[in-house]
Amino acid sequence: MAEIVSLAEAVALAVRDGDTVAMEGFTHLIPFAAGHEVIRQRRRDLTLVRMTPDLIYDQLIGAGCVRKLVFSWGGNPGVGSLHRFRDAVEHSWPGPLELEEHSHAGMANRYVAGASGLPFAVLRGYAGTGLMAEGMASVRPITCPFTGEILTAVSALNPDVAIVHAQRADTSGNVQLWGITGVQKEAVLAAERSIVTVEEVVPHLDPRPGSVVLPSWTVSYVAEAAGGSRPSYALGYYERDNDYYVAWDPIARDRDAFRRWLDTEIFGMAETMGGR
Amino acid sequence: MTGPGMTGPTLAEICVVACAEAWRGDGAILAGPMGLIPALGARLAQLTFAPDLLVSDGEAGLLAPLLAPSGSGTVTEGWLPYRSVFTMVAAGRRHVMMGASQLDRFGNQNISCIGDWARPKAQLLGVRGAPGNSINHPVSYWLPRHSRRVLVERVDMACGIGYDRAAALGAPGNRFHEVRVVVTNLAVLDFRTPARTMRLRSVHPGVPVGDVLAATGFPLTVPDEVPVTRRPSAGELALIRDQLDPAARRERELR
Repeated sequence: MAEIVSLAEAVALAVRDGDTVAMEGFTHLIPFAAGHEVIRQRRRDLTLVRMTPDLIYDQLIGAGCVRKLVFSWGGNPGVGSLHRFRDAVEHSWPGPLELEEHSHAGMANRYVAGASGLPFAVLRGYAGTGLMAEGMASVRPITCPFTGEILTAVSALNPDVAIVHAQRADTSGNVQLWGITGVQKEAVLAAERSIVTVEEVVPHLDPRPGSVVLPSWTVSYVAEAAGGSRPSYALGYYERDNDYYVAWDPIARDRDAFRRWLDTEIFGMAETMGGR
Repeated sequence: MTGPGMTGPTLAEICVVACAEAWRGDGAILAGPMGLIPALGARLAQLTFAPDLLVSDGEAGLLAPLLAPSGSGTVTEGWLPYRSVFTMVAAGRRHVMMGASQLDRFGNQNISCIGDWARPKAQLLGVRGAPGNSINHPVSYWLPRHSRRVLVERVDMACGIGYDRAAALGAPGNRFHEVRVVVTNLAVLDFRTPARTMRLRSVHPGVPVGDVLAATGFPLTVPDEVPVTRRPSAGELALIRDQLDPAARRERELR
């Protein structure tokens, strides 16, 4: 059963140095508050997994929390590059960053395999691409036992920790999210431990069309963090802060500007969103 | 809306129509436009000659093939979260128009990195959906800046595969592979040659063939008579200008 704790407690309990951590949420419900708390608690040597790393991973990479990134697309949506990510790959600042690169469908299917307790997933994609040539341990050709066609196997993803943001949980720790959902359910089910930050804890969850429910027994920790997916959005709660994504670009381009951002916006703040 | 007084088409508007043409004859499949001009093209195709086309709103909605009663704006007719998009990719019922940081003469596309993958000079966005798209269903490309930096002899990393790599895979793995067209700010290109290398299909109005060749980093097949890319009709121009993009954001994609 999920324990309802503060965000600072959840991160302290669930995330350890050297862990493989998946923070998911697609377009909306991106768990920024939790990412910031991981930076604040100065976790190191993390392997971060995410289909579409955007600002949240740019911040964690720049802050020196990350040793390796598993991803399929890394950018500032509608703006351009992730400059902390690029600086790490191209100039090893603040340290070297190892990459494991997959396609979108490969990443999604790797989570499904992990959540299903299967060792791999099968796709037609990857054949002929540079990814096959790079000898990544998570990609192998496989022959279909029925037709003989050569397909691609991608290994299951089973993170140590999955972190997602949702609109609501009830007081028993059952979680509900809706709108554009990504692979949050698969990420949580595939992971050893999980943290779900929510906009609010309510007495009862009422049905919503198309919602995803994570029963309390699938979740380790629920932490209330109102506004916890800003500057992305939470459908029904607040809109996406598009100006923030634009404003991030000059901060991320400059190491000193980024350090100042870390000092004022992260280390200068107590955990502000996850009060008990 | 139409008729005398309307100014002639801009380059961006010619590109919108050239992108729309990429989906002609595709029937009821999902159009995946990446970039504003391809998105306007897909929408234009859906509203004119390709009413069966399914067009995403870029998030998780499908746009109905009609205009909102209030004039500009859209009507959503369906819900297609990306989980379902993967199913449509695997089933082949999709045709995307992607961008490319590099594209070579066989249609291999790179959006991952410049230089060696293990130690890149420039880290780009990552392979994204290209490895699955290019082997499961038709893909086309939109290159707003036709240059030798983009159209290269050989890509540094193959994310979407071209005809040489598809041929090397052989049957049955390559049976769904097709690079349909490449639309640039100068021309339309395709791969209808015996060796499946890139061919100049048409130049945009006013663009000399020599300019296209000079801006391409490999030899192109050039027909004896190079057609000119078709101009938008008055009806298409009115749709683009009055309904689909009244703020003319399309012009900024070609700066």
